[in-house]
Amino acid sequence: MKELVEFIAKAIVNEPTQVQVTEEEGEDGLILKLQVAPDDKGRVIGKQGRVAQAMRTLIRVLAAKEGRRAVLEIV
Amino acid sequence: MMEEVEVSAKTVEEAIQLALAKLGLDREQVEVTVLKKGKSGFLGLRSGEARVKVRPLPQPAPEQENVAAAKAILEGLLQSLSISAGVEVSPQAPPEAHPGSIALEIRGQDLGILIGRRGQTLSSIQYLVNVLLAHRLKRRQPVFVDVEGYKKRRYQALRSLAERMAERVRGSGQPITLEPMPAHERRIVHLALMANEAVTTQSIGEGEARKIMILPKMARPRR
Repeated sequence: MKELVEFIAKAIVNEPTQVQVTEEEGEDGLILKLQVAPDDKGRVIGKQGRVAQAMRTLIRVLAAKEGRRAVLEIV
Repeated sequence: MMEEVEVSAKTVEEAIQLALAKLGLDREQVEVTVLKKGKSGFLGLRSGEARVKVRPLPQPAPEQENVAAAKAILEGLLQSLSISAGVEVSPQAPPEAHPGSIALEIRGQDLGILIGRRGQTLSSIQYLVNVLLAHRLKRRQPVFVDVEGYKKRRYQALRSLAERMAERVRGSGQPITLEPMPAHERRIVHLALMANEAVTTQSIGEGEARKIMILPKMARPRR
């Protein structure tokens, strides 16, 4: 799960070394927290949130495969 | 290669913008022929619509190294989704793809999971491949992604649905509203009926519920 978010985020930011993804167990399943350099935040969100939305779609697919739930938070 | 379209609007400029929006192209990717200049008339009286023909120009073939980069990005994405599937480069992009697109096909068993409801997962994959590649190349290079011919089948099904429904609208004179569809599918229907003499199409509704209405072309009311 973490690898998926890292793969995408590192490929669209200007400072890939500052990409950090942490996993936390929440009440509703796994919470993925994505942290990037301040200037890169817009890139992982995308125009009208489309990048974040596409990442969430793929996270849902992967989570469903593993029979659980996961959410993405951009912090 | 995408077909040319003819569009009418109040002014030439409006008609061009409308055609570009429908084709999903930029101004420099097309050739415009003005068929009829619009007349503004007085208080809308004796005004005439402008009509333009917009033809997509052939785009240069994508460079080999960019094709390889696009393929590698998609393979990486599939790998991080723990999906074992192959990626093939298609020799030619399908007619609904933006001109000059790199076309990739995902091949494998049980890939329905990559398509998703109304193709939403596939759309997300294609979108991300486009964004990732654009970031790497520092310019836009459209990529078209299909899974085991899914979009190709949808394209054919939507074209024939459009024709059938247009025929029904022409016969009855009553508008028909289709099921909600994602943007790229609506575009296929709009383009399929753009040259149709008897009907016109329009999108109504918002977001997920946005759908196409096929309407009869009204005879101009007499004054």
